[in-house]
Amino acid sequence: MREAQREELARSVLDLAANDACEAIVTSTAGGLTRFTHNAVHQNLASADTTVRVRTIVDGRTGVAMTNDTCPASLAQTVARSRAIAAFAPPGDVPRPLLHTARISAPHGAFVAATAAASPTARAATVAAIVAEAEAASVWAAGYVTTSQTGITIANSTGTLLSFDGTACGLNVKANAADATGFAERYANDVAALDGAAAGAIAVAKTRVGAAPIAVEPGAWTVILEPAAIGELLSYLTDHFSAQAYVDGSSFLADGLGRTYVGENVTMWDDHTHPSLADMPFDLEGAPRTRVPLFEAGVANHVVTDARYAAKLDMPNTGHGFAVPSAMGPEPRSVVVSTGSRSTQELIAQTKRGLLVSRFWYIRPVDDRKTIVTGMTRDGTFLIEDGKITAGVRNMRFNQSILEALRHCEFASDAARTEGYSYRMVVPAVKIDGFRFDSRTEF
Amino acid sequence: MTFDTLAARALDTATSSGASYADIRFDDGRAERAEVRNGDVVTLADSRSCGYGIRALVDGAWGFAASARLDDTGVDETAALAVAIAKAGAAIAKHRFAQAPTERYVDTFRTPVVRDPASVPLGDRVALLLDVERALHATSSIRVGRAWIDLWQTEKVFYSTTGSRIAQTILQSGSGCSALAVNDDDAQDRSYPGDIGLYQSGGWEIVDAAALRENAARIGEEATQLLSAPQCPSGVRDVILGGSQVSLQIHESLGHAAELDRIMGWEANFSGTSFLRASELGKLRYGSPHVTIVIDNTMPRGFATVGYDDEGSKSVVDDIVRDGVLVGFESSRDTARTIGRATNACVRAENWRNVPMIRMCNLNLLPGNVPFDALFDGVDDGIYMESNRSWSIDDHRLNFQFGCQIGWEIKGGKKTRMVKNPTYAGVTPQFWNACDAVADEHSWVAWGTPNCGKGEPMQTGRTAQAASPARFRNVRVGVGYDA
Repeated sequence: MREAQREELARSVLDLAANDACEAIVTSTAGGLTRFTHNAVHQNLASADTTVRVRTIVDGRTGVAMTNDTCPASLAQTVARSRAIAAFAPPGDVPRPLLHTARISAPHGAFVAATAAASPTARAATVAAIVAEAEAASVWAAGYVTTSQTGITIANSTGTLLSFDGTACGLNVKANAADATGFAERYANDVAALDGAAAGAIAVAKTRVGAAPIAVEPGAWTVILEPAAIGELLSYLTDHFSAQAYVDGSSFLADGLGRTYVGENVTMWDDHTHPSLADMPFDLEGAPRTRVPLFEAGVANHVVTDARYAAKLDMPNTGHGFAVPSAMGPEPRSVVVSTGSRSTQELIAQTKRGLLVSRFWYIRPVDDRKTIVTGMTRDGTFLIEDGKITAGVRNMRFNQSILEALRHCEFASDAARTEGYSYRMVVPAVKIDGFRFDSRTEF
Repeated sequence: MTFDTLAARALDTATSSGASYADIRFDDGRAERAEVRNGDVVTLADSRSCGYGIRALVDGAWGFAASARLDDTGVDETAALAVAIAKAGAAIAKHRFAQAPTERYVDTFRTPVVRDPASVPLGDRVALLLDVERALHATSSIRVGRAWIDLWQTEKVFYSTTGSRIAQTILQSGSGCSALAVNDDDAQDRSYPGDIGLYQSGGWEIVDAAALRENAARIGEEATQLLSAPQCPSGVRDVILGGSQVSLQIHESLGHAAELDRIMGWEANFSGTSFLRASELGKLRYGSPHVTIVIDNTMPRGFATVGYDDEGSKSVVDDIVRDGVLVGFESSRDTARTIGRATNACVRAENWRNVPMIRMCNLNLLPGNVPFDALFDGVDDGIYMESNRSWSIDDHRLNFQFGCQIGWEIKGGKKTRMVKNPTYAGVTPQFWNACDAVADEHSWVAWGTPNCGKGEPMQTGRTAQAASPARFRNVRVGVGYDA
C-alpha cells in the first residue's frame, strides 16, 4: 500500500475517533521468500497485509485494538473497541500522551524500488546461482533468498502524520558436504547487493577447508568471530542498554552509567542513518530516532529511551520505543560497531593458535547481570595455527561473559551488515582472547 | 461473500492456471492480551487478523501465496501468484519434493470449552491481574512484578481440490505471573506456573486452573530468597526436574529432533538438522524403558489440539518413543511418504500469512508409576530444579545446556536448602537413558509452549509437551558457573 493510501486510511481512523485522543498506526507489508534445500526449492511464498492499530486515550486510560480489515465498518468497530477497552485500563504511573512530531525524511537508501519489485523468478535466479556453486563442488546447499517492503504511517490527533517506506532483502546459504558445513550471508536494502554466486562460493569453500574436522580440547581459546557470530553474540548485550532494563536492575548497567565496562578500543552506537542500515527515522510512538552512543571508548554513558522512560529518568527521548502501551521497554534497533585498523585476514595471520568461527547457534543468557551466555558454534569452525587456517574443527559449546570478552578484543577493519530474527547491525569481525569453551560435539 | 464462494473461485483459478492440486485455508484469528507490570496495565489489546493462504502444486513444486483481500480480484490474483511461484520453483528444480494429496474430509471441529472467555468481563480480568501483580511484591526486593492473560479464538476453514471442506473453531488460553528480585549484586527471576505460565486449549477454565492468586506471594518470596541462596554446586549429581522443565526437555531434545522435515534437511540453514535417521526407527534406544513419548493431537486441553492440521489431515495419536525405543517422527504428507508411512498430521502455520510446516504439536511423556515425592527416595546427593531460565542446544539436537530459576539440594533422600542458578548439561540420548523414574499421573500437566520458533520467515508455533517430574542419574550440574 502506498504512502498516500496509508495516510488516507489513518486520517479516516482519526475522523472516526471524533473528539477522543487517538493514534492510528497503519502498517503495510509485502514480500516473498524462496527457500531451498538439497539444491532445490522446497518452500516458496509471498504474502501481503495491511494492519491498522488504534490507540484511544480517554481520561488518561489507554485502549488498543487492531484489525487487518480496512473497510469503513471494520475501522469503526476497531475504534469503538479501543475506546471500550480504555475504560478498563487504569492510568499508569507516567502519563503517555500522544506525541507531536513534524514529518521526518527517511535516510538515503531506505527504499529501493528494485527490491520492492523483485519477482519470484528473480529470487529463483539468485537461488540458481547459489546452487550452481554447490553442484560444481558436489555438495548440497540449503538457504533462502528474501525480498520485502514495509510501509508505516503514524497519525494522531495532535496533528502528527509520519510515513516511512523501506525495503530489505537477504540471503543465507549453508553448504553441506559429507563431514563439513559452511555458511555465508548477505543483507541489504538493495537487491542488487545480493550476489548469490559469491555467497555460495564462500559457503562451499568452507566445506573444503573444513573437511575431516578434528576435535580440539575445550578451554580458553583465542577466537576470531566473523560478523555473523559476533553480531549474534552482541545482540544479547544490546538489550542491556534499554532504559527499562537499567531501571529494573536486570542490566549490567545497574552498576552505573559513566563507567568503563569494556576495552577502550570498543565503541558502539545505535544509528538508523548508517548507510548499510538506512532504517525508519522515528519510533512506533512517533518520536524521532536519534543516534545514541552505547560504548564510547569502553565507557557506557547512555541508555536508549522512549517517552515513558525519558520522563521517568529525566533523560531525552531517544526515539527507541515500541507501539504504546507495551510491556517491552525501549531497545537499540540499529547497532553499529566501530572498526579497527587491521583486516580480518591480518588478524588471522597474526594469530599463533586460535579458532575462526563462522556462526553461533542458540545463544541464551545464563546470568543476565554478569552477561554470561551459552551457545554453540556451527557451519564452519576452523583451527588457526601460526597465522594459517589448518583444519576444520568439530563444534563446541561456550559459556562466556560478553563484557569480559570485550575487554580482550580487537575489531577488524572491514564491517558487514548481519541480521537475526530480532536484530540488525553492522559489525566487523573480532579477535577475542580467552574465550571459554567447555564441551564439544562429535560433528 | 462467503468463504465457500471465494474458495471455489480460488481453486478454479489455481487449477486453470496450471496447478495439479491446490488448497486454500481461511484463518480469522482474534487475540486478546492483558498484562500488568508494576501496577500499570501495560497491555490491554484486542487484535483481529483475517486472510487466507493458497498452496498450489505444479510439476512437483509447491507455491504459496497469502492475502487479506477477501474479494474475487483478491483470490484470483493470489491463486495465480501461488501458481506462478510454484512454476518459478519447478523451473529450477533438480528433484521433486511433493505429490498431489488425495485425501478428502468434510467435517467440523470445535475446542471443548467449559467457560467462554467472552463471558468474563474485561474489568474482572484486569482486576485479577492487578491483584496477582500486587501479591508478587511480597518483599521490598521485588523490583518488577508482571501478570498476564492471553486468549485466542481462531476460525479456520480449509478447502482443497480433492473436495475437502473442514471448518474449525479453536480456543486457546493462558496466564502467568513473574517476579524479579534485585539487590546490589544480583537479580533473580521467578515465574509461575512453570516458566511462561499455563497455556492450554480451552476457555477461562484454563486461567482458573493456573491459580495465580493463590501462588503469587510465594513466587515473590522465592525470588527474594534466591538473592541470598548459595550457588548451585558444580559437578556430577542426580537430578530431579519439575514437570515444566521436563516439558522443555522434551521440546528441545526430542520434539525438534524428531521433526521429519529437519531430518530430511529442510531446516538445515536455520533451525538445523537432527542426529536422528529414518534407518534408526525401531532400533535406536533413545531413552530408558521409563521413557514413552507420544503425539496426541486429540487430547483434551492439549495446547495444539485440533481436529485437522493445516494441510487437511485428521489428528491422530502416534508413538514417537515407546519404552525407550525410537519408533516414529512428527510428519507431513510429503515427508511421511519418504519413509513409507502416513502423515501423523503435525502440520501447522502460525496464521494465514504463513506456509504450513511440521510442528511438534502435543508431544507427551506418559506418566510413570511412582508418586512425585517418591522420586527423592534413593537420591543421596542431588539437585531438584524447577522452571526454566535458559535453554540452548546444538543444531543436531545433541549437546544441550539448560538452566532453571530455582533449585534445592537433595541430601539423603530429602529436599534441603535452596540453591540459585541451577544449570545442567548433557547429550540427548545419554540423558534420556539416565532417566530412571517418571512421576505418576497426579503430577502430570499438559504444559503448553506459546512461543516455539521455527522456519523462515520465522513462525511462532503453539505446542505442548505434557509431562510430570522425572529423575535422571549422574548429570553434570552447575555448568557455566564452574570456572
